[in-house]
Amino acid sequence: MTIHDAVAALVVLQLAAPATTLALVGLPALFGRPLSERSTTSIVGGGFAVGFLAALGVLAILASRSFVPEVVHTGTWFAVGHHEATVNLVADALSVPYVCFSTGLCWLVNSFAGKYLHREPGFTRFFILLALFGTGMNLMVLADSIDVMFAGWEFVGISSALLIGFFFERRNAIDAALRAYTTYRICDVGLLVAAVVVHRAVGSGDFERLFGADWPHSTSLVPEGTATVVSLLLVFAALGKTAQVPFSGWLPRAMEGPTPSSAIFYGALSIHAGAYVLLRCEALLEAAPLARMALVVIAAGSALHAGLVGRVQTDLKSMLAYASMAQASLILVEIGLGWRVVPLVHVVGHAILRSLQILRSPSALHDRHELEAAIGGHPDLGGWSPVSWLPAPARAAVYRIALERGFEEPFVMGLVGPVIRLLERLAGAERAWVAWLGEKRSRPGGDGQ
Amino acid sequence: MIGSDLIPPESVQGLMLGLVATIVAAPALAAIMLAAGCFSRSPRTPAVAALGVALVACALLSWLWHASTGAVYEFGERLGGGSFVHVDGITAALMPTVALIELAIVLVAPRRFLDPPATSRLLLGAAATFALFATAHPGALVALWFATALPTWISIRGTPGGRPAARVFATVMIAAFGAMAVGTLLMIFDPPWERGCGVVGNTGGWLVALAVLMRKGIVPFHSWYPSLYSGAPLSTALAATMPQVAAYTAVRLLMGHADHGMGVGAELVVLSQLALVTAAYGAALALVQRDLRGLVGTLAMSQSALVLAGLAGKVPMELNGALCVWISSGLALTGIGLVAWALESRAGTLSLTTPQGRFHDAPAIAAFFLIFGLAAIGVPGTLSFVADDLIVSGSLDEQLHAGLLVIVSTVLSGIAVMRGWFLIFGGPVAIDGPRHQILPRERFALTALLAPLFILGLWPGPLVTTLERAAEQLLGVTADGQPADARGNPPGEATIGGP
Repeated sequence: MTIHDAVAALVVLQLAAPATTLALVGLPALFGRPLSERSTTSIVGGGFAVGFLAALGVLAILASRSFVPEVVHTGTWFAVGHHEATVNLVADALSVPYVCFSTGLCWLVNSFAGKYLHREPGFTRFFILLALFGTGMNLMVLADSIDVMFAGWEFVGISSALLIGFFFERRNAIDAALRAYTTYRICDVGLLVAAVVVHRAVGSGDFERLFGADWPHSTSLVPEGTATVVSLLLVFAALGKTAQVPFSGWLPRAMEGPTPSSAIFYGALSIHAGAYVLLRCEALLEAAPLARMALVVIAAGSALHAGLVGRVQTDLKSMLAYASMAQASLILVEIGLGWRVVPLVHVVGHAILRSLQILRSPSALHDRHELEAAIGGHPDLGGWSPVSWLPAPARAAVYRIALERGFEEPFVMGLVGPVIRLLERLAGAERAWVAWLGEKRSRPGGDGQ
Repeated sequence: MIGSDLIPPESVQGLMLGLVATIVAAPALAAIMLAAGCFSRSPRTPAVAALGVALVACALLSWLWHASTGAVYEFGERLGGGSFVHVDGITAALMPTVALIELAIVLVAPRRFLDPPATSRLLLGAAATFALFATAHPGALVALWFATALPTWISIRGTPGGRPAARVFATVMIAAFGAMAVGTLLMIFDPPWERGCGVVGNTGGWLVALAVLMRKGIVPFHSWYPSLYSGAPLSTALAATMPQVAAYTAVRLLMGHADHGMGVGAELVVLSQLALVTAAYGAALALVQRDLRGLVGTLAMSQSALVLAGLAGKVPMELNGALCVWISSGLALTGIGLVAWALESRAGTLSLTTPQGRFHDAPAIAAFFLIFGLAAIGVPGTLSFVADDLIVSGSLDEQLHAGLLVIVSTVLSGIAVMRGWFLIFGGPVAIDGPRHQILPRERFALTALLAPLFILGLWPGPLVTTLERAAEQLLGVTADGQPADARGNPPGEATIGGP
């Protein structure tokens, strides 16, 4: 067995392990025989453990070979004429560290959730979705083509929305899930159209046709015009999952989901999915100054928005959501500035810290209540505010903007509302037309039955 | 792998004819027996047996066609573009799908909708649909259009409160049948499949295209489609729409025209553009539906329109995608429809204006609804993802807008499915409410529909190869752009039988 064969086997294992657990836990549940809690957590956790160890193995091999990338051809999925759909994966300096930390985090959250969700009615559902998310995340990260990346991206979006709506007995959870999913789908258009443009430009979705050299030194192989169009589309796709203005309204609502999923999705992995896609395609961005400028402007604005709005939140999870958004925005700014390793390190560091904070938040609140009860009041945390130097009217305006969440919601509803109303009118007109067509007119006064 | 060395096409000619006869006769015979009063206590049993036999025969037919190098089998009188019995790639690919859809409908149908007359009508409709999918004879196609629409109309008319929907259906179908009959007559008089076709033949082609628009529920003749889903039993609506009789007719009558480049008629190009609009418009309407049936109807209208959208492809890949959509949308939308019906039979009409809280009532049904919904909208790992990929990739060179409209349709449908799922299954639970477990026959039928969607989605190679051959036969070119012989077979393939 050559080194390449070993890497190929380990890379496939990183995908196959969580996918297998998805089938092992999902199929019995679909057939009305869900596994016990212990079996469920063991199987899903086992899948992540295997994936994590496989990723560590690949990391060790790559590190010993100066991170020379290994492309794994898993074969042709299907072929029609000259069109060949292949599932190519890549193990390089970007994907392997990312898989290590994402699979490791999933494994940890799996252990935490096993106890946190004990006897919860949706226990099995949570772990099925966690396994789906892990599979999608690994597929997205290891993808060596925009098509495979999109497949993983979709799984991440679906599992995210279903976990936000985990407690779907509550109307808020349903609305939050639909808001998130709608935002994802709208921004997915960016990735889908980017895939179409890439296929049209280079005849394939494979990254080797788009970039030359190895990450982080890759360079664009396509003309500047194509690079600009694709980069702008990728930036648009990233705005949704990374909760950038004006697509950020879903993020604070997403905290309706259970704490472990909030931690892994909005503190750690899903929130950085857009950043990963841009990092992977950084070579295109580098050849597209317009897209980079747009990214920096939007992300810097979003960081400011999140910093401002986050400071006036009155609940811990919303505060953490905005803190996540602010850091994710800064990461996008770094990517827009053309840095490559710094944003990757920032992603890993931020993900670990934020998921810890979110996992800790329920017990931190409990501790805080105990502290307040013990001292008989609120502990003094200092009264300094960064806007305290502003004159009173300006300070009031800043507070107003922050409390109204930057007026993002009225702006979005101003765009979406008319479209929904138009569709409702069209649907009403359709119903009226069909009712007219179905009326019995030969006998006036008849009921038509 | 079995190739031509193992099964020479000539040796299975009789068997092919026997299989076609079995596929049509089994449900027809069961329908006659039910009409005569046999099995009046359990009409589901003979229906399942007959459609089970048909399904096995369809699968065998499909396998035989594949194993005998994909020849075209023709029997009986040949008129215009095709013979009375005509088995080629499209028949072989679609017959098992149609049989599976019909069988699943009979398995899931609630008992009160499956009295002997209703079952008999369902089986007669199935027999007519099978017969239609096994012919390319223009006269037979016209007759079978009528035969497939009549049981549907009777069934809607007999449904309490269904008469308005029956009137809408009858109005559209009579107009469609008229256009189809006149158009076909004109095409027979002045055949467009022969060189030198004149104005009469072209007019006939456009009339047939108009008929297809109406029967397929394409904008601007789409309104009857959601109305059928709202006013008729879902078994009737699904059996009438999911096999896509009109799309099959378009393939047989509007493809292979001698005077059109690459054999694709201008009528088909117009149909495909309108179908793309329908796909996007239907998906947009699905977003604002107020009840479950409206959602299923508009989704079905949108996703099944993609079949027609891909049929105008001048390269086998796009046509291959259309055939893939034909199978995937048929199975997935039938699944959604049956799940909706199973739920409705337990809980009554379900509104989408407020959350209905049905998850705890029927968790397995909720899971099936979600999975079928995802399978219908092109989620990776399902056949619809492969289908969308082929259509979009196939249309890139000539019709960028087609790819974009497919994407818009997919995106909007996805939001509509998720909205429907959360509003039907989410919401406060009635703690003391009834618990409705899924029945074994329902689970079996839904799993049988689901399995091919995922198996073929994860391992699409064999299906895509089969459909590629079917697409090559229809277009008269190979996937690599090589010309086919005069009878429409790619080089090296044969036409068996014929007059």
